Amino acid sequence: MKATRVFQLTALVLLVVSAVQVSWWLFDQRTYTIERVNAARAAYAAQAAAAQALLDNGVSAAHVHELLPQIAVDGGRASVAPALEETLRAERHQRYNRYAWEGAFFLLALGVCMFVIARALRAEALVVEQQENFLALVSHQFKTPLASLQLSLETMALRTLAPEQSRTLIERMLADLARMEAMVTQILESARLERGRVDFKSEPVELHGAVARVVAALDERARSQRVAIASEVAPGLYALTDPLALDVIVRNVLENALAAVAPVGGGHIAVSACARNGEVELAVKDSGVGFNPADGARLFEKFTRLHPGGGSGPYGTGLGLYIVQRLMQLAQGRVTAESEGIGQGARFVLIWPAAPVAQS
Amino acid sequence: MSATAEGASRVLVVEDDPHLAAGVMENLRAEGYEVAAAGDGEQALEWLRANRCALVVLDVMLPGVDGLAVCRTMRDEGNSTPVLFLTARGDPADRVRGLEAGGDDYLSKPFHLQEFLLRVRAILRRWDWYRSASATAATAVLRFGGNEVDFRAFRARAWNGEAQELTEKEAMILKVLAEHAGEIVSREDLLERVWGYDVFPSTRTVDNFILRLRKRFERDPANPRHFLTVWGVGYRFLAEGEP
Repeated sequence: MKATRVFQLTALVLLVVSAVQVSWWLFDQRTYTIERVNAARAAYAAQAAAAQALLDNGVSAAHVHELLPQIAVDGGRASVAPALEETLRAERHQRYNRYAWEGAFFLLALGVCMFVIARALRAEALVVEQQENFLALVSHQFKTPLASLQLSLETMALRTLAPEQSRTLIERMLADLARMEAMVTQILESARLERGRVDFKSEPVELHGAVARVVAALDERARSQRVAIASEVAPGLYALTDPLALDVIVRNVLENALAAVAPVGGGHIAVSACARNGEVELAVKDSGVGFNPADGARLFEKFTRLHPGGGSGPYGTGLGLYIVQRLMQLAQGRVTAESEGIGQGARFVLIWPAAPVAQS
Repeated sequence: MSATAEGASRVLVVEDDPHLAAGVMENLRAEGYEVAAAGDGEQALEWLRANRCALVVLDVMLPGVDGLAVCRTMRDEGNSTPVLFLTARGDPADRVRGLEAGGDDYLSKPFHLQEFLLRVRAILRRWDWYRSASATAATAVLRFGGNEVDFRAFRARAWNGEAQELTEKEAMILKVLAEHAGEIVSREDLLERVWGYDVFPSTRTVDNFILRLRKRFERDPANPRHFLTVWGVGYRFLAEGEP
């Protein structure tokens, strides 16, 4: 990585030096041409003066013309032939033209190379910065469950606890571990998505089955948090996407809804789907904490936390919705989030291209 | 506005992570403290406006108003309750930022339970000392060189009649120096008495506070008569002023 950067920087410096050299060469050639034309003009003027001197000394015009063919003699006056002046001007013009084309071509080629290298350097710097941010954020996200885990263990080591207190601590520790495990999974998922190393195979996938599977998996947790999940997805709707990605997407959106509803003491989540204009739409509506409408787009950024319980919440990783958006992009689909405001619930809409074999 | 008997052993825990908050609170309770909780910065400020406590354990990364802003707002509102920051960011720059916001101590996550409890005790001990050292009418007010400092109200009137609002650290440093008037107090002693052990990376911080005190109370801060530097050792406070 570093060697590439050194190489790119060296190439950039060489290109800049070359561009300066080409510009100098152009300037030098122009000056040289002017000097040469001027010298030629002076030589012809000297010839004309010599011819005039010969004429003045009685040498015949015919003999003078023989000696100095470039000089025109007209009525005893010698002068440089007009055609010659024309030739000099034409030659200068021709040279200028050539320098302009050649120079412009070289400078353009050098400029394009410089642009390409500068862009690569900038892109690389951006990647490094993003990686650093990512690492900082990831380590930060891990420190809270880690601190909680350590605190619970040290509490058990330091104090004599009643059995029910121990049980509470053990449950807390297990939940912290589960949280860290979920984080690792999501971080790996998002890292793979980031590097584009995802084996994404679009095929017709039935929405009903995918939603039913995820709802069944989340059912127990939802019930313990007093959240009712109602799925009204009719069988027979096919989206064009990767089946594994679909599971991840539906799971993340539903978990996000669950995290939004739990802090308000329970509520409901409604999942519905329909087909329209060659697309399949899945909507997840919750009665949770909602968000400020202006923050709709920010929800899908990594590690966004808009308010307690919403978005990444205390148990989230802040990566779930980011992963959803990336996977939707890979499926040529899109995802939007809308809310009337804080406390007003939220609605997430996922839209995929409909599978051509739908209803078959 | 220091804590009175009402909240003398009460600690407010401001932490948005429910597990961590529960763990911290259970341990503080087991140590005999009364505990109150707030899940975000706004809740914490609201609670602090209506209630009193001896210490605030404050998470830095809070949703909405963050911990640093909470601490700054508290100080701006004249609340001098000590603050112990808990944070997932532990590099020295963040530490200094926390202390500049008016925090008393800083602990990065994950932390050791016993160290946490030790620091809580240390902060409370320092404040107990400060409060008891400013408890009587004689010790609550310090007069020197035309200046008058009220340790309980964190206010002062300078020799030129100008009213001064002291930060709690300035007041504490002044208290330590006044208690040992005429004696040499080392920078390390000042750090230990006012901040605790390893909070600040350097003793230069103390020098900065002394400069601030000189600016407030000396007629000619460049040629101090009350806050004297003892080169290579520390400081000496003279109430009567150097002749």
